[in-house]
Amino acid sequence: MEEEAETQEQQRFSYQQRLKAAVHYTVGCLCEEVALDKEMQFSKQTIAAISELTFRQCENFAKDLETFARHAKRTTINTEDVKLLARRSNSLLKYITDKSEEIAQINLERKAQKKKKSEDGSKNSREPAEAGVVGSEN
Amino acid sequence: MADDNPDGDPTPRTLLRRVLDTADPRTPRRPRSARAGSQRALLERASSRRLSGQTKMIAKGRSHGARSIGRSAHVQARGHLEEQTPRTLLKNILLTAPESSILIPESVVKPVPAPQVVQPSRRESSRGSLELQLPELEPSTTLAPGLLAPGRRKQRLRLSMFQQGVDQGLPLSREPQGNADASSLTSSLNLTFATPLQPQSVQRPGLARRPPARRAVDVGAFLRDLRDTSLAPPNIVLEDTQPFSQPTVGSPVYHSLPCTPHTGAEDAEQAAGRRTQSSGPGLQNNSPGKPVQFLAGEAEEVDAFALGFLSTSSGVSGEDEVEPLPDGVEEAEKKMEEEGVSVSEMEATGAQGPSRAEEPKGHTQVTEAEGSQGTAEAEGPGASSGDEDASSKAASPKSASSTPESLQARQHHQFPEPAPPPGAAVLSSEPAEPLLVRRPPRPRTTGPRPRQDPHKAGLSHYVKLFSFFAKMPMERKALEMVEKCLDKYFQHLCDDLEVFAAHAGRKTVKPEDLELLMRRQGLVTDQVSLHVLVERHLPLEYRQLLIPCAYSGNSVFPAQ
Repeated sequence: MEEEAETQEQQRFSYQQRLKAAVHYTVGCLCEEVALDKEMQFSKQTIAAISELTFRQCENFAKDLETFARHAKRTTINTEDVKLLARRSNSLLKYITDKSEEIAQINLERKAQKKKKSEDGSKNSREPAEAGVVGSEN
Repeated sequence: MADDNPDGDPTPRTLLRRVLDTADPRTPRRPRSARAGSQRALLERASSRRLSGQTKMIAKGRSHGARSIGRSAHVQARGHLEEQTPRTLLKNILLTAPESSILIPESVVKPVPAPQVVQPSRRESSRGSLELQLPELEPSTTLAPGLLAPGRRKQRLRLSMFQQGVDQGLPLSREPQGNADASSLTSSLNLTFATPLQPQSVQRPGLARRPPARRAVDVGAFLRDLRDTSLAPPNIVLEDTQPFSQPTVGSPVYHSLPCTPHTGAEDAEQAAGRRTQSSGPGLQNNSPGKPVQFLAGEAEEVDAFALGFLSTSSGVSGEDEVEPLPDGVEEAEKKMEEEGVSVSEMEATGAQGPSRAEEPKGHTQVTEAEGSQGTAEAEGPGASSGDEDASSKAASPKSASSTPESLQARQHHQFPEPAPPPGAAVLSSEPAEPLLVRRPPRPRTTGPRPRQDPHKAGLSHYVKLFSFFAKMPMERKALEMVEKCLDKYFQHLCDDLEVFAAHAGRKTVKPEDLELLMRRQGLVTDQVSLHVLVERHLPLEYRQLLIPCAYSGNSVFPAQ
């Protein structure tokens, strides 16, 4: 029992470390791009700090999103929750709302395409069926 | 000593014996009035009917002595007598002799200034001259004129000296004993009770003490009389401080009721007040407990007293029938109403303002005042006097700034009340009136509030808190910045709450939204829940509103 808990802890910890490493790598890449853009160098400590900060903030976001979803009596996190999360900074909120609208449009288009496909598919399926029926009758 | 006197003829000695035997010993430390009263009570209790006159003379003598105290020497003389109880004094008298020497005190009396004061009183009662006081006072001053400084040892010395002196004078006093009857009229130190009835019946029938005629108190008439004299005579006010003492001026003034022009105002007020009766704070139901309430009110705060009193007055109004007031009275009341209503309203507002800080100000107070006054008038005017008393009582102890106009308005509205307690209340409030009159009129209601930005109206409180907790002086600009920050902070909070409510598909902000907000703020965490914070920081009254708790009857409040 305790061993399992320990192994679980260790697993979680190792998983966390891997996630942190992934975040660190991503932050490093982004900082390099910014450094090239601004012609300013980033020290390692800076990148480490930023990555740690990002990781903790992601944890907060996750908890908040979960809380928001529960507050709205849902079990699934929604774009509404994300928008609620991002409302603090105006630019971020605007960006996210734009993005969400894009996504919504894409979803609608996809739904429309799916509907068309399904309708065509249903029509096609019906026509051969009728043809088949007609053919059989003949 | 009792054997010396014939049984059928009660002498002063037997009388005093009776007094001493029946009266319970009292402590010497008592206020003069109480002592005088107790002395009177002692004497009256023990006196037989036949000797009632004697004792009354004695009591009168004592009261004379009490009242003649204005002079220092007399005060001192009286002062060290205060140390002795009446019992001891009477014992001294019994021991020494009923008749003290006439000659010795007379000769010695003249040089001493104190007896000069006594002489007028002596002369007054010389007809009966049954004052026990005189022999006590004079010898004490005469025998030790140089020792008038109030000192207990000296006082005791004086008394012992007095006893010695009287003992010495005893053989002399025996001689005039036979002539007591003849010389009683002129002798000053006459302790003989042998001439009991003669002085009382013949000389001063008016001064004779009669049992107080317990007639129904007509306080209204008394109050009207007061009003007519425009200011209560201060001596009556100051002396009559007992809550249930009955005014003696009542009956003769009663018949002047129709004549007073001021009574008319009450009916008009009554008409005005009837509409507002319903708006009054439920004053109507306490009629049976009126005297009890009155007593309770005396002991309690002025607020409770005012409320209780108003309830009693309204109870009175509710109960009693309308007194047959003549039409002229009504008209006069209306006139008075017009004059004084604005003033009285102002005063009522002001006077009742401090007494009821919790009640909404402004119109309600005025209507309450009107209502209470109207209810008072409904029946009889006394209730209004009660109300006025209440309000004036409320005004006087609470604030120094009640106006004399209110007093006059109240006096105008004072009326006979059927029950003595309200009259007593009036009497007890009388001392407040002259005091209030002296103070200059000050407006009770504060002026219009300085106009504030409604958005920032509430923040000043928080800014003050901030400056308090800062524990150091702050610049005004800093405080302004603090105010702006607080403004933004609260704006943000409220926006968040609104969004949270909308997020949950609601239009009303609920405690769940607040919990979410606190979670976002970091106050509520996985370790610390909202209930824990509520328990930690809020008082019990709020806690029982927020945290579901099981009550009897299988009910949980608040419902989960």
